[in-house]
Amino acid sequence: MLKKINLKNKTALVTGAGKGLGKACAIALAEAGAKVILLSRTKSDLNKVNKIIKKTKGSSQSFVCDVTNLEDLKKTLNKIHRLDILVNNAGNNRPQHFTKVSQENMEYLTNLNMKAAFNVAQLCSQKMVKAKNRKKIGGSIIHMSSQLGRVGCEGRNVYNMNKFGVEGLSRGMACELAPYNIRVNTICPTFVETPMVKKFFKNKKFKNKMLKNIPLGRVAKESDVATAVAFLAADSSEMITGTSLLVDGGWTAQ
Amino acid sequence: MGIFLKDINLKGKTALITGATKGLGRGAAIAIAEAGGNVIAIGRNQSELDTLKKEIKKFKVNYVSFNCDVNNYNQIKSFITKLKKLDILVNNAGTNIPEPFLNVKKSSMETLLNVNTKAVFNVAQLCANQIIKLKRKSGSIINISSIFGIVAGQKRTVYSMTKFGVEGLTKGMALDLAKYNIRVNSVCPNIVLTPRTRKYFADKKYNKYVKENTPINKLVTVSDVATSITFLASEAASMITGSSIIIDGGWTAK
Repeated sequence: MLKKINLKNKTALVTGAGKGLGKACAIALAEAGAKVILLSRTKSDLNKVNKIIKKTKGSSQSFVCDVTNLEDLKKTLNKIHRLDILVNNAGNNRPQHFTKVSQENMEYLTNLNMKAAFNVAQLCSQKMVKAKNRKKIGGSIIHMSSQLGRVGCEGRNVYNMNKFGVEGLSRGMACELAPYNIRVNTICPTFVETPMVKKFFKNKKFKNKMLKNIPLGRVAKESDVATAVAFLAADSSEMITGTSLLVDGGWTAQ
Repeated sequence: MGIFLKDINLKGKTALITGATKGLGRGAAIAIAEAGGNVIAIGRNQSELDTLKKEIKKFKVNYVSFNCDVNNYNQIKSFITKLKKLDILVNNAGTNIPEPFLNVKKSSMETLLNVNTKAVFNVAQLCANQIIKLKRKSGSIINISSIFGIVAGQKRTVYSMTKFGVEGLTKGMALDLAKYNIRVNSVCPNIVLTPRTRKYFADKKYNKYVKENTPINKLVTVSDVATSITFLASEAASMITGSSIIIDGGWTAK
């Protein structure tokens, strides 16, 4: 009756796999038995993640790639022959009050969080639908969204715009890829203990204010998000598509 | 438990399941036992409760059953308040009487409100109080909702009224119980083939209606739902509260 989180014989690609959530997801997927392909801009980060996966007897391969560079992305993905799972994770945030948002930051965030997310998803989907047994074995795409893809937050207007967009993209993709038995979902975490969030939380006033918004009273761990990603990647969720798994400690329930 | 991947593991936990003898409740009871959890089964049919015992005992966990109608407040209260162990509630007992809105009988409306709303509330409140009284470190309550807790369906006005209500109750409970580290979520399945829905599926038109509305071309199974329930029950979902896992093959993404 209980379907295990098992990814044996599956190949998963994770973007932004060098740090934070991407790194955690890559390691968790490898722990569940998947062969993991890591993409990141920083070779030294990739080497570290490869090492951890190797230590736990997992299998991984990595490519230095900037997902915002379409040519670079295409070239990299051309080297990959098989793909069952995509964790579309690469993303960033530069919080600024709406009236002060610079053109540069808006363009940077939108190019990374939306345009690159779209490109990665489209190129990987094209690869996934080609597998002859796709309908039988299924596929899974997981977009790294955010609780801020569901509700607004101060200083997060561009990020809000990006992540609400990803929520829409995910549902549209789910409808179009269902005939291939490829499921498409998002994960919406609250603040997670990642290098990116640690930077924001240096501001203690901000940290305390944010913690007050999480009914469970704690930030999420990388393992909370990575486990949810693995759950969505595996057949344990084989009828879940076009939806979002909120890992937010109750933030958006209020 | 890996570095980032948490197991769906319920060893040492005790779960109470209402409507445990049939369909989703029975599936949840078996999946929970498979994950190592002890089972307290509430149902109205003694011979079915006895059959379930045989299946649960295969997993070498404890099994207690109580033959009781969840609408009988005094009876269910005296049982729950005497429990020595309780960590998880699968608040499942529910029913449906499909009728066009203009012809909904007073008696059907009252039956559905009593079972799907009032009894769901009462069982949840009694169990939450008991989990707190027993000073458990954490708790998880899973209300069985439906896609009709998110969208409407034909001849489902009263059912939708009750299941939308369960969605609201879930979020409210999540906020009030967060400080006790009791998480509260719902699962929203598509129409699953169970003893209760068999009569609907006997109608060819209904079959076609479900298939046409489900982008992933298959029916949701009891095992799909039971797996999500067990995931939410376990520490693998320890930052998920006030949320719903939608298991609908894309029905509500459209």
